[in-house]
Amino acid sequence: MMETLSLEFKVNGQEHKLSVTPNKRLLDVLREDLNLIGVKEGCSVGECGACTVIMDGKIINSCMVLAGQAQNSEILTVEGLEKEEGKLHPLQQAFLDAGAVQCGFCTPGMLMSSYNLLQSNPDPDEEEIKDAIAGNFCRCTGYKQIIDAIKLAAERMNRQS
Amino acid sequence: MKADVINKSSNRVDGYEKVTGKAKFGADINFGNQLYAKTVYSEYPRAKIKKIKLNKAKKLDGVVEIITAEDVPGTNEMFGRFPVLAAEEVKYVGDGIAVVAAESQEIAKKAVKLIVVEYEEIEPILDMKKAVKDTKELVHSDKEDNIIEHSHHLMRKGDIEKGFKGADVILERTYYTPFVDQAYIEPEVVISIPDPYRKGIEIHGSIQNPYSVQENIAKVMDHKISEVKVIHSTIGGSFGGKDESVMMMAARTSILAERTKRPVKMVLTREESMTESCKRHPYEMNYKIGAKKDGTIVAIQDEVYTQGGPYNNKAMFANWRGSVHATGPYQVDNVKTDYYGVYTNTIYGGAYRGFSAPQTVFGIESLIDELAEELNMSPKEIRLKNCLKPGDTFATGQKMGKDNIPIPLKEIIKEVCEKADYEKKVKKFKEYNKKHSEIKKGIGISCTLRGAGLGGEGIDTAGATITIDKDGSITLISDLTEMGQGMRTAHAQIAAETLGVSLERLSFINTDTSIIMDGGPTVASRGTLAGGQAVIAAGKKLKDRLKKVAAEKLNCDKEVIIIKNDQVYEYDNVNNMIDFDELIGVCIAEKGISLSAQGWYNPGPEELSEETGQGNAYPTYVYGCAVTEIIVDTKTGEVGVEKIIAGYDIGTPINPQQVKGQLYGGILQGLGYGLMEEFEQKEGYLKTDNFDDYLIPSIKDIPDINVILFDFEDDFGPYGAKSVGELGIELVAPSLVNAFKNATNNRIREIPLNLERASLGKNLSK
Amino acid sequence: MDFDFLQPTDLDEVCKLLNEYKGKVKIISGGTDFMIDLHKDELSPEIEYIIDVSNLRDLNYIKEDDNKIIIGAGTTHNEIANNPIVNKWAPVLAKATNSIGSPQIRNRGTLAGNIVTASPAADSVPALLVLNGKVKIKTSSTTKEIPLEDFFIKPYQSKINQDELIVEISFKKPPMECKSGFKKLTRRKAVDKARLNIAVLALQNNIDEIEILRIAPGSITPTPERFEKTENILLNKRPTKELIKKAAEQVSSTMIEKSGYRWSTEYKKPVIKTMTRRILTRVLEVE
Repeated sequence: MMETLSLEFKVNGQEHKLSVTPNKRLLDVLREDLNLIGVKEGCSVGECGACTVIMDGKIINSCMVLAGQAQNSEILTVEGLEKEEGKLHPLQQAFLDAGAVQCGFCTPGMLMSSYNLLQSNPDPDEEEIKDAIAGNFCRCTGYKQIIDAIKLAAERMNRQS
Repeated sequence: MKADVINKSSNRVDGYEKVTGKAKFGADINFGNQLYAKTVYSEYPRAKIKKIKLNKAKKLDGVVEIITAEDVPGTNEMFGRFPVLAAEEVKYVGDGIAVVAAESQEIAKKAVKLIVVEYEEIEPILDMKKAVKDTKELVHSDKEDNIIEHSHHLMRKGDIEKGFKGADVILERTYYTPFVDQAYIEPEVVISIPDPYRKGIEIHGSIQNPYSVQENIAKVMDHKISEVKVIHSTIGGSFGGKDESVMMMAARTSILAERTKRPVKMVLTREESMTESCKRHPYEMNYKIGAKKDGTIVAIQDEVYTQGGPYNNKAMFANWRGSVHATGPYQVDNVKTDYYGVYTNTIYGGAYRGFSAPQTVFGIESLIDELAEELNMSPKEIRLKNCLKPGDTFATGQKMGKDNIPIPLKEIIKEVCEKADYEKKVKKFKEYNKKHSEIKKGIGISCTLRGAGLGGEGIDTAGATITIDKDGSITLISDLTEMGQGMRTAHAQIAAETLGVSLERLSFINTDTSIIMDGGPTVASRGTLAGGQAVIAAGKKLKDRLKKVAAEKLNCDKEVIIIKNDQVYEYDNVNNMIDFDELIGVCIAEKGISLSAQGWYNPGPEELSEETGQGNAYPTYVYGCAVTEIIVDTKTGEVGVEKIIAGYDIGTPINPQQVKGQLYGGILQGLGYGLMEEFEQKEGYLKTDNFDDYLIPSIKDIPDINVILFDFEDDFGPYGAKSVGELGIELVAPSLVNAFKNATNNRIREIPLNLERASLGKNLSK
Repeated sequence: MDFDFLQPTDLDEVCKLLNEYKGKVKIISGGTDFMIDLHKDELSPEIEYIIDVSNLRDLNYIKEDDNKIIIGAGTTHNEIANNPIVNKWAPVLAKATNSIGSPQIRNRGTLAGNIVTASPAADSVPALLVLNGKVKIKTSSTTKEIPLEDFFIKPYQSKINQDELIVEISFKKPPMECKSGFKKLTRRKAVDKARLNIAVLALQNNIDEIEILRIAPGSITPTPERFEKTENILLNKRPTKELIKKAAEQVSSTMIEKSGYRWSTEYKKPVIKTMTRRILTRVLEVE
C-alpha cells in the first residue's frame, strides 16, 4: 500500500501542508489540491512546457517532478503574478497589448519562463529571449508577438525602475 | 465614413482570463460527484473482435460502469461511419472497444489494463494506391470498393484533349504529402452530465463544432436534438482537430452519464489524442500540365488520391474544395480534375486548417516552378503571366473581376517580390552558390487564391444574438466558436461599430446549442465572414429599434439619428442628444421595447454542376504570395528557413494585430508541415504519438517573418473583411521546396523536407 | 503505478536503502527519464520504492583541485553549463550539457541521470569521454571508480548494479592550451535529441604536431566510445586536409563495423564523415 506523503512547501507566497499519494506529480498537486488551474497539462512528457512553473528560482516542467521532490520548495505559478486583483504584472499586460495570446493554453507557461528571464536579465536581446523560451511551445501565435510582448514588458519595467 | 472600432488593434476581449490563468479550459472544469472515463483502444489495425472480458475490471474497487457497443441506446454509427465503439471489427488502432467510468482517473487507468480483448487478426489495408484498385479487400464490407462515399469530385472545363494537343511542352509529375497533426497544445476534454433540469444530456468540452456533436449524440442516445445541450469550454486551439475525437468522447461519456446518473469526465492523453483525432489527409497528386513555349498554360489534368483512414466525415467536403483549387490561381482554359478519397486501416484524415489547400498548393506551386524551369522562364514571370486577372475565368468557369470579386494577384505578386528584393536575391544567391560547395542559399515563390467561406461546400449561414441589458451592458452570443482565433474580439468590434458603442460594453457567452440556433460549423475561415454578418444583422435590428425611440424622444426623423461613441444625437444638431444609457432606460422602462435581437446571415447556396464542377464556387476569394529564403547544408541536410515575406489580401482587417497573429501562426504550421512534421507508422501501428517524436516548430525555428496586408476593395464581407484563418498555412511548404530547388538544383516532390530528403533526395524508414 | 517515496538525507542512508530494497527500488534525481516511463507505464512492476536524491547536497557540487574537476552526480545540466570552472577547463562539457533538452529539462536533468540512461545519443557522454571522465560508484560498503568508457553494456543499459549509486563524475584537467569542440545535429533548432553528435579534444605543440587527440562520436555505436583507431591517424603528426579526410572516413567505416548496416546508415555514413571532418578542421585550425 502506498504511504501518503506529507508535503510542506510554499506556493505563491503561501505555506501549505498537504497529504498526498507519492505517485502524484507536482502538476497534479498544484491543479487538484491547490486549485491552481493556470498550470496546464499538454503532453505529460516534459516537451511542450505548458506545465512550466518556477521552483526555487528555476523554471521546470511540473509534469516531470514527483510531489515529494517539491518538499520545502518555493513555487511560483501564473496565479502568483497578479499581486492584486485587476493589477496585472507588466508581462501579463504586455502579452495582451502585443497580441501574444490566442487560445491561451501555452500562456501561463510562457509567462513563467519570461518572468524568470526578466528576473535575471532585465534587458534581453532577441536571441536571449528565444533561448529562454525554447522549452515553451505555441501552436497558435507563431511566437513573433510573444517575443514582441517580452521586449515590451522589459522596456516598460526598465522605464519604471 | 471612418470606422471607430474596425481596423483597430484592440486587445482581445477574452485576454484577461487567459493571462491570469483564470480561463477555464475543459480539464479545469469539474462537477461534483463526477466519474472519470477512459477508453480501451484496439490493439490491432484490423481484426475481428471475438470476446471482450470485463469481469476483472468490473471487480476493481472504484469502477462504477463499463460499456461496450451493445450498450449504445440509439445508433452506434455516427456521421462518416464513426462508431461510438467498435462492435464486430476494429478498423484501426484508434478504435475504441470499451469505456470504463471510475471514481478516479487512476482507477480508470488500472481498470483499462484489466480488460482483455480477444481478436482474430485480419491483414490491414494500408497502401492507398492498392486500396483504390482493390475490390476484394474492403475496409467496409458493405461497399464495392474502398472509395469514400461522395468523395469523388471532378472539374471539367474546356476540352482537355484539345488542350494538350495545342501544347508545345507537356510535363507529368506526382507530389506527395503526409499525415500531420494539428498539435494543439490542449488535449481534448469532454464532460457529460445528466441535464440537471430536464430529460436529456448536457455536454461541456473542447468542442469546435457544438451542433454536429449535438446532432450525433442525439442519434446515439435516442434523444431529440433539443434534449442534447452542448456548451464549449475555453478551447486551447483546434485547427479542425477537435471534431470527430470529441464527438466520440461525447458519445461515450453521455452513455455513461445517463447510465450512472453522474457527470462523466474524459480527458485524452497526448498519445490518445494523436491516435484518435483526425489528421490532414495525405495526398498523392498526379499532375499533367501543358503549356505554350511562351509560358501560357493551356491544359492541366490531375488525378488526386486522398487517404481517409477507416472512417471519414470530411473527405467529401475537403475533396470538393481541393477539386476547385487544384489548378491554382491561374487562367487555364482546359481542365480535367478528379479527386478520390480512399479508405484504409490507418489513422484517419479530417479537417486541419487549410482543408485540402496545403496539399493542393504544394502540388500546383511546385508544378508551376517545374514548368518554368522546363521553359527557361523565371518562377516570377510564369506566375505573372498566368495568374488570374480581371476578365479571366477560374477553373470552375467563374468570371473573375466582376460581381465585386477583385482579383489582385498580379499586384500582390509584384509587390511581394519587390519587397523581398526577389530579382536581386536570385542573382546574389547564384553568386554565393558558385563560391560555396557545401552550403547553398535559395529563394522560392508561391502564390495562392482561396475561396472564402464554405462556398459550394454548404450554405454559409450563421446566427448571432445581441441583448442589451438595463445597465447598458451588451451580451453577444454567436453560433460559431472561439478557439483562440480571435473571432470573439472581431465580433465585439463589429457589434460595437454597428451599434455605435464602446467595446467595453460587450460580454460573451460560450456557444450554447440551447440558446442559439445552428448556423453551421466554425470552419472554412468564416467566423468573421459569415459570423460577422450575423452580428451586423442583429446589431442593425437593435439599432433600428433604438433609433425609433430616440427619434420620438428627440423629436426628429429616425433617418437623421446618429448613434456613435455611446452618444445618440441628431445629425447636424449635436446638441439635440440623449446619452446611450438613458436611451436604454427609456426603451425598457418607458416603452417596453425588446432589446434582444437575433441576426441571421444567409448568402444562399452556390449552384454548381455535379457533372462538370462548373459554376460560381465562392462568392469571393482571398489571395496570398510568399517569398521564402533558405540556407541549406547540402552535406547534412539541415535546412534553415531564414526569411519569409508574405503578402495577403484578406479584405479589411477588423483587428490588424489579431489578423497578423493568425497569419504568423499559420505560417509556422506551414513551416512545420514543410520541414519537420511526420508520423512513423509501421504496419498500421502508430509509432509517433507525442511531442518528443512529433516535432513542431520551436521558437528557435522561426525565420524573419514580414507580413504585408493588402486591402483591395471588396465589400462582400462585414465592413470589408473576408477570411484569414486558413490562408497563412498554404504558402510555406511550396515556397520552401521551390527555394530548395533554387539552392541545390534538386527537386523534392514529397514533404517534409527532412534531413534525409534534403541530403539524400529520399526518405529512409525503419 | 504505486510506490513509496523515500527522501534520505545523506549518502549512507541512500546506500542502506539500496541494500535493503534491492531489486525493488529506483533512484531518481532530475527524473526527466523516469517520469516519462511512469507516464507511459513502462516502469518495471518490481519497483516499490522511489529514492529521491534531488535535494541531497552531498551530490550537488562542482569542485576543482590542482589536478582535476569533480562534479557531483546530482548536479544539473544548467549548473554545469553555466559554471565558471567548467567553462574555463572543459568548455566541451559546458557546450554539450547546454544542448540537452530545454531550459526546463536542464534545470532538472543531471549528469548521472544522462549517463545511467545510457542512450547511444546522450549528449554529455561524448564530451565526458574526450575528457577521459571517470565515474565514482558507491555501495554501503564499497567505493570504486571506473572509466566512463567501461560503464556501458548496450543501448539503454549501463553497468550500474541494483545496490549501487553514482556519486561523482570527475576528469583530469586537460592542459590549458587544449582546444575542443562539440557538435549536435538535430531535426529542429531546439529541444531535440541528437540525430548525430560528436566531441573532440586536442592539443598541438608549438609546431602544430598533435600531442593529444580524443574523438568521441555519438549516436553511431551501440555504446558511446572514443575512436582510438581514428585518433591514431592524426596523433603525433601535423594535421593536413588529407589526414583529416582519412580520419573522417575511418569514423564512418568504424560505425558500420560496430553497428552494421541499419535503416539509418545511408544517412549517417556520409554525414558523420562530414561532421568529423568539419570539427577536426575547426579544432585543429586547418585551412
